[in-house]
Amino acid sequence: MATTPAPGPAPRRRTGATRERQSTHEGFLVHKNGKWIKLSAALAAVLILLYIFVPLPPQHFGSTWLGYTLGTIGALLILWLTALGMRKRAITPGRWSLKAWTSAHVWLGVLLSVIGTLHSGFAFGWNVHTLAWSLMMIVIVSGIFGVTAYATLPRALSANRYDSEGAITEKQMVEALRSLDRQLHDAAQPLDRECAVLVDNSLEQDPFTGSIINRLTGRYPGDATREAAGELRRLRAHRPRIADDPLDKVDALLTRKEAMLARLRRHLRIKGWLQAWLYVHVPMTFALIAALSAHIVSVFFYW
Amino acid sequence: MSFVVRQIALKSSGEEIIRRSVAEDAVLVIGRDGSSGIHLPDLAVDPRHARISAIDADTLLIESIGEQPFTVNGRSTTSSELEIATGAELAFGGHRITLAREAESGLPAFTVRRVEAVSESAEAIDIGSAYTLQKLLPGKRMSAWGFAALVLLTFLAVPIWSWATYQPLALHKDARRPAGIHGDTAWSSGNLSLAHKNLNNDCQACHVQPFVTVRDNACMTCHKTDAHQHIADGARLLKARGEPTGFTGFQRAVANAFNKPAGRCVECHTEHEGAGAMPATRQQFCTDCHDGLKSRLSDTKIADAADFGTAHPQFRPMLVTGIAGDGKPLRQRAVWQDGLKESTGLKFTHAQHLSKTNGIAQMVRRRPGQFAANDALGCKDCHQTDSGGARFQPVEMEKACQSCHSLTFDEIGGTFRTLRHGEPDQVVADLRAAFRGGMPPRPANLSGMARRIPGAAAQQSTAADYARAVHFYPMQADQAVTAVFSKGGMCYDCHTVTRGGGAATAGFSVQKVAQNGRYYNKGWFDHKDHRKSECVSCHIKATTSNEADAVLVPGIDGAGGCRSCHVGEGGAKLASAHVKEPVASGCAMCHEYHMDTGAPWKPADKRKGPALLTAAWDRPRHPTLQR
Repeated sequence: MATTPAPGPAPRRRTGATRERQSTHEGFLVHKNGKWIKLSAALAAVLILLYIFVPLPPQHFGSTWLGYTLGTIGALLILWLTALGMRKRAITPGRWSLKAWTSAHVWLGVLLSVIGTLHSGFAFGWNVHTLAWSLMMIVIVSGIFGVTAYATLPRALSANRYDSEGAITEKQMVEALRSLDRQLHDAAQPLDRECAVLVDNSLEQDPFTGSIINRLTGRYPGDATREAAGELRRLRAHRPRIADDPLDKVDALLTRKEAMLARLRRHLRIKGWLQAWLYVHVPMTFALIAALSAHIVSVFFYW
Repeated sequence: MSFVVRQIALKSSGEEIIRRSVAEDAVLVIGRDGSSGIHLPDLAVDPRHARISAIDADTLLIESIGEQPFTVNGRSTTSSELEIATGAELAFGGHRITLAREAESGLPAFTVRRVEAVSESAEAIDIGSAYTLQKLLPGKRMSAWGFAALVLLTFLAVPIWSWATYQPLALHKDARRPAGIHGDTAWSSGNLSLAHKNLNNDCQACHVQPFVTVRDNACMTCHKTDAHQHIADGARLLKARGEPTGFTGFQRAVANAFNKPAGRCVECHTEHEGAGAMPATRQQFCTDCHDGLKSRLSDTKIADAADFGTAHPQFRPMLVTGIAGDGKPLRQRAVWQDGLKESTGLKFTHAQHLSKTNGIAQMVRRRPGQFAANDALGCKDCHQTDSGGARFQPVEMEKACQSCHSLTFDEIGGTFRTLRHGEPDQVVADLRAAFRGGMPPRPANLSGMARRIPGAAAQQSTAADYARAVHFYPMQADQAVTAVFSKGGMCYDCHTVTRGGGAATAGFSVQKVAQNGRYYNKGWFDHKDHRKSECVSCHIKATTSNEADAVLVPGIDGAGGCRSCHVGEGGAKLASAHVKEPVASGCAMCHEYHMDTGAPWKPADKRKGPALLTAAWDRPRHPTLQR
């Protein structure tokens, strides 16, 4: 980390004696003691006061000197904010570290909602100008969602990965499923056709199956493993109990597979939410830049 | 018959291990069951799925045992004959079995190979992408370009195409685009005002050239007759405005740099503000020039003016100063002041007529139903508004005065003879004609010879009447004429009568009457808008003045003055004075930029509606901060 260590006593060696965590980590939201949030809040306050107190006509506020100024700042700000996409691919330390840049991106992005809305003068309609504003707001709101997700979801993601045996990696999740599938395959060999097909369905179903909806909700209504387990239990209920029933083993294995799948899918759901907002944020940014261009051209075209 | 079964397994290195066995049975069973001749540990395969038997030395029959299909040479079937020489490929679940004749032994050989993994999870999984949304959503890059292209096409390319298609429509009064999709309407920042509603689809009607602001020639295409110049000399107008300085100058420079010249119609007549009436022009538009006008335009005759409530010059009413030789009134403007006089040629006592206690009031009480009120005369018994209601008709003697001030001079057989109003020569002629007959007839009962006796009161009364008649019935007609034109005579009481008339009027001359119909010609005053107020709340002298020449119109200040209610555009006057019922009043309430004699233009939504009793009618941007 490029930032200076937090003041205070040197980090003690962690032993079992204390469970207090001495974190020197400073997130991008409060980077440099919240420099960017303070700056953005101050700018927002100044702009709102200017909007209220500078005597300007209420109609067509966007075409007053203050309106043009806000519009120009807003447009340039949009381009700069978009540049994070390029900037983030080059991680550098120092004054303009990526963290500083990200912190500025987030808070200046929030400030943009104030700039853009004031520029509109609260005049909305079904036209390209309001389209640009709406896209801007979609981008900002999705960004805020993303920041919130980044701030809260990784904890849930970690919690899901940990169990009594320690943490499990993504690769290990797949390996565990493969192992269970192999065992299921072997254990199901003695089964009759009806039962074997049920187990086979479970084996043949891709653990990563499902649409974006399934991914984000964590609901998989057509899950073959659950269906197999349920159906086998139903079939077994009507059969006499025998020793060494291969169904016992299959049932136990299916139960374990279900648990592992559930954990995998929780993992997928959380990761999905961590990623999904970008699928709105990024394309909408480009749509916004297009709408912004149309907005600017249209204003000068029909000057 | 014997069959060779070759089971092929793969080492982790990818190397093949072949286990060869020979089945000596007549029937070879394929199935998941361990006892099967061809054992396929595959859950998609039945425990006993199919059996193979020989038909002859060269042909085998394969048929399903449990009616479950399998695949032969790519086609699903439950029974099939297999030529050993030709060979075949069978598929059961995830296994593929190829049939060929083994060269060394000459026996039909089945080579069994697992081609599908045990489970889906066992297939190669790209950990890098499996845990992402990559395969579930269209790529960010693709959708970014896609959306951007869509927006550019819809909101940039199509509008420009629309513009290009209908270009020749510009500057033609009645040219309209046909109905259809006009992409450039998506650029409209708001509906046009009601007056321009039919141009909503025709952007080019005003936006003639791309990247060129709306110019006056676009407005003038339609407004050929109704847009007057404020003053004819445009250069003078610019001089009055003055060269902008400081920040305003900077703004001007920026606007010029962006090809937005000053002084266009649209600077005041803003558009695209919604489908209502066109909004009113702000007061600042006027005060930009008229505030401190003298400093920029030293030879102007107009006084500096800014907000009505605080910085408006005293009114200068147009007064009648006399009658010219041709009988037309002479007019002159004078600064309004208390006690101003004009010359109407009339004598009239407003106070006396409006009194509620004198004989006139008593007379009104005796004739109920004939006047507007039953206790005294009111203003409207004489003054009637004109058809528009803005001003008043001249008072006419026949309608307003004659019901009391009769011009009757004689009675013949119950019919009254009346002098003709406004025609002095006819008056003289009528009187002279009346006196041709001589004295009034002597009543028969006045013999003059009888002795007076008590109880002859009636006779006495007749004698008195006769004596009065004789007194008022001069022996000479000229005496009567003189009486009527002199003090105490019918004409003289109301009119200014001078000597100097012709023979036809016996040397008398009645001055022409001039009633002032409009005192303020540069500003618009509408009585209709003030009908809820009492007349005397503005014309306060009406109940005290007994002089017809006293100017009763109010000035700007003082009791009854306009500022008693009108406090300027933003209510600036309220800061320094208390006004009981403040009315916001920008310049445009009384003044018209495109100067004509009519009422100033007012937005349609302000034309009707309740009396303006608040100071906040002109759409203040921040109502709460106004005070």
